[in-house]
Amino acid sequence: MRARTRGTGLHTLVGAYVMDAITDADRASFERHLLSCEQCREDARGLREATARLAAAAALPPRPELLEQTMQAAARVRQLPPVVPGRSHQIPAGQRWRHVLGTAWRPAGAGARLWLARATLAVVVALAVTATVFGLHMSSMQGKLSAVEQRDAMIATVLGARDATTLTAKVTTGGTATVVMSHRARALVFTANGLTRLPTAQAYELWLMSPVGDTPVGMLPPARKGMSGPMVVSRLGPGEQLAMTVEPASGSRHPTSAPVVMVVLGG
Amino acid sequence: MNTAGGEHPGSGQRGAGASSARQGGLEVVLAAVARGDDAAFGVLYAQAAPAVLGIARRVLRDPAQSEEVMQEVLLELWRTAARFDPSTGSAEAWIMTVAHRRAVDRVRSEQRAADRELRAATASVAYDEVSDAALTSLEHQRVRRCLEGLTDLQRESITLAYYGGYSYREVAQLLGLAIGTVKTRMRDGLIRLRDCLGVE
Repeated sequence: MRARTRGTGLHTLVGAYVMDAITDADRASFERHLLSCEQCREDARGLREATARLAAAAALPPRPELLEQTMQAAARVRQLPPVVPGRSHQIPAGQRWRHVLGTAWRPAGAGARLWLARATLAVVVALAVTATVFGLHMSSMQGKLSAVEQRDAMIATVLGARDATTLTAKVTTGGTATVVMSHRARALVFTANGLTRLPTAQAYELWLMSPVGDTPVGMLPPARKGMSGPMVVSRLGPGEQLAMTVEPASGSRHPTSAPVVMVVLGG
Repeated sequence: MNTAGGEHPGSGQRGAGASSARQGGLEVVLAAVARGDDAAFGVLYAQAAPAVLGIARRVLRDPAQSEEVMQEVLLELWRTAARFDPSTGSAEAWIMTVAHRRAVDRVRSEQRAADRELRAATASVAYDEVSDAALTSLEHQRVRRCLEGLTDLQRESITLAYYGGYSYREVAQLLGLAIGTVKTRMRDGLIRLRDCLGVE
């Protein structure tokens, strides 16, 4: 290894710095050093990327219920505005969330302002669980995606889209349909909750309906824990509506019954 | 000291996190979260929570505390998403910096001396436990392979510091090395790791 007798110099702290292996006093003096050392900032940035990979390699799946708890807690936390140039932007240090988390998973009181409707939250939770699988795959993604991975990628794209909007509609035979759609991505994610169970000879089928005709989208897989889907519909055209009908289990080319739900997509 | 004359082995070979659009996804998701998009927050959770929980668990050991830290970090991300600056590095690096820092802060503020001795005994096996994690992804294998490419001292310094949450002074004591030696092992090891992982 290279001789580095001056190895105790301040700039050698960069490794300890990006791993938080330093005292607050060390950190303060190193950060002062960073201000005057562009190369050190560049080094710190690159080494931070490496440490992020160390963290990713240690990933563990959280217990499923933590997602909903965290999302409900977030609904009670006001977000900081972006930094506007010319204004100071101190982030208050030592913020603690325990008081928020402490109440998050209790049933919401009458006055609680939950900004996610229950049904929507359940859908987001279900989708995010799917996306978790996808997220884990992301890090190991090399080359081609399988069909399932493509679907999950599409779900993540729709949910992450800037213009993602959520539409819910009652299913006439029971249950609720939820559509998260992005006009920009020209795609939507469909889920349904609490659908009436059908005899095995029948199944729910999704359609895109437009003035030019009806296009079958696919059969809704059997519900798990009351939740059906998610199904991804991509390459949406203008003026199309999403519909669901009850069909023979093998599916139909054209709807053979009246839709049990219609979602006007707009745009 | 004269910083201008400092050595920066390996630096300049890579543009660090400057190319923040790597795989694109998380930066876009963060931007949506900053606008209060709760569906995007669900996606952020899905993509970030496992690694945040993983690193909290490695540092804190205690499952309940790790979950608390994971939730605190996710809420911190929700709150401060608008402050993320892509020019300072990737979203992943930003998120993991927040996560690791919080886990280490928790250890340092709450862990008593007795606990730390206990951890000292277990931290040395931390590296091997990487393989016991619930996930064995390609990423995981790549990191493991790259860790194996380090010298023993580099690897031990890094795993004790990053996964164990020890300061470089504590690492020096645990390994019976001079403080300056530990600092350079940490830096050189991370540089090697960075190059091995092909971090952009």
